[in-house]
Amino acid sequence: MPARERRGAESICSNNESEYSMRRVFDRLKPGRSASILMALPLFLLFSCGEAPQSGDGGAEAAQTVEMEADGMMPARRQKAFKKIFHAVPSPIETALLLERSGIRFDPEALNPIDKALGYSTTAAQAVNLGIYAGDLSYSVIFNQNQKSVDYLNTCRRLCDGLGVGDIIDGDLIERADNNREVRDSLVHIVTETFYDLNARFRENGMEEVSGLMAAGGWIEGVYLGTRNLSASNEDLKLRIAEQKMTLDNLLGLIDSYPPTEELTKMKTALSEVEAAYANVKIQQNAAAATAAEDGTVVISGGPDVRYDDNALADIARSVAQIRNLYAQ
Amino acid sequence: MNVSSNAMTAIKKFSLAAFSLLMVLFSATDADAQCRTFTKKRCLPQLEDYVQNDNYNTAVLIPGDEAELELTFFGDRAYRLLVCGHPVLGDLTFQVLDSRGNGIYDSTDKESNHFDFRVANTQQMTVRVQVPSSDAVIEHEGCVSIMVGSKG
Repeated sequence: MPARERRGAESICSNNESEYSMRRVFDRLKPGRSASILMALPLFLLFSCGEAPQSGDGGAEAAQTVEMEADGMMPARRQKAFKKIFHAVPSPIETALLLERSGIRFDPEALNPIDKALGYSTTAAQAVNLGIYAGDLSYSVIFNQNQKSVDYLNTCRRLCDGLGVGDIIDGDLIERADNNREVRDSLVHIVTETFYDLNARFRENGMEEVSGLMAAGGWIEGVYLGTRNLSASNEDLKLRIAEQKMTLDNLLGLIDSYPPTEELTKMKTALSEVEAAYANVKIQQNAAAATAAEDGTVVISGGPDVRYDDNALADIARSVAQIRNLYAQ
Repeated sequence: MNVSSNAMTAIKKFSLAAFSLLMVLFSATDADAQCRTFTKKRCLPQLEDYVQNDNYNTAVLIPGDEAELELTFFGDRAYRLLVCGHPVLGDLTFQVLDSRGNGIYDSTDKESNHFDFRVANTQQMTVRVQVPSSDAVIEHEGCVSIMVGSKG
């Protein structure tokens, strides 16, 4: 960690000279004015915390450094330590990459038509279908369906407008995607960055329900797209579908981590059908171990043994299609 | 006169309480927004060519706090696990545990804030992060982000 960063951070709000000057100002106050000053004090403290750039110490560069240090820190507002638990689900892009590597073919008929977006009027319908369209967008990007990628990004924009976060996917972003439509890596970057920003905004705005429903929609669409033609699937794809039992577990943990709402409960009930179908996929947990490969890469091997049969996968495909079509109708 | 004075005092107390409440709400929202900026500026670039997972696993933590992330890593894929915290929190440490709770990796005594690895078989793992305790008179809180990128 650079010494310069540490020094700047530690010095914030510790300017003794300023403290002394403030005390002298308070000593001179008339009693009648002290209440107004007291009320203004928190505001003053909020904006006065931080170290001003020293003159002759790099000017603009120093100011920029201070701005960077001020991001993401402030005096603690609580004293008692706690444990924060996160639950993560694979992003739609990760799922689409898995499908592509498993040899699946792009099936345009499997996508949720974009003209249906206008019919999703409730917050819950918009949130779940934003996830579903994110799955379709990712699938289109990974399979180099350039025009479809831009179309689905535009559809996500429409739903974001409805959810009050339309500024995340603005005209500039659409133009950037359009200009990079031939470059898959750029589109992947744009999509992951956009949905990261959306998740962050939902957190900032206290929209946990929307965040949970969107994650569920993305997960459902990923498995739905992967199970459209199971009879012609290879063993790799079948294994990938069976392994989603673990990500379903992550998804249910994520939904449970949010304050319960009617729509989240409804989603959990719907997902319990999928969970029941996954009961026929057996996972035996084994110890994992990290070893160094010849090229120096650390490889984590061992871990779970996943067992399933075609009937179990057919049940999963059926239950996922049911829930997907329920929400996408 | 007395009634007027009492009313003024009540109004002042109410104003102060309302103002304090607003300040708490404002600073909580502001902290979240700051964390997003911090993560994008300071953490995201450290994923380099790994494709980021779009989950927002960022929290405002204080010395002594812990954070845990549970997720599934897919087989035959390379990952970078990045634990990125504001420098005011000191050197964060983290461990990676398998689904049975056995330790696979421990960052203690290592210089790096990330762990690059490849997973042979798909598996659920837990990442456990510790913020070191502090003896400082004024403790600071800072953003901690657990980021996962993948490639190949």
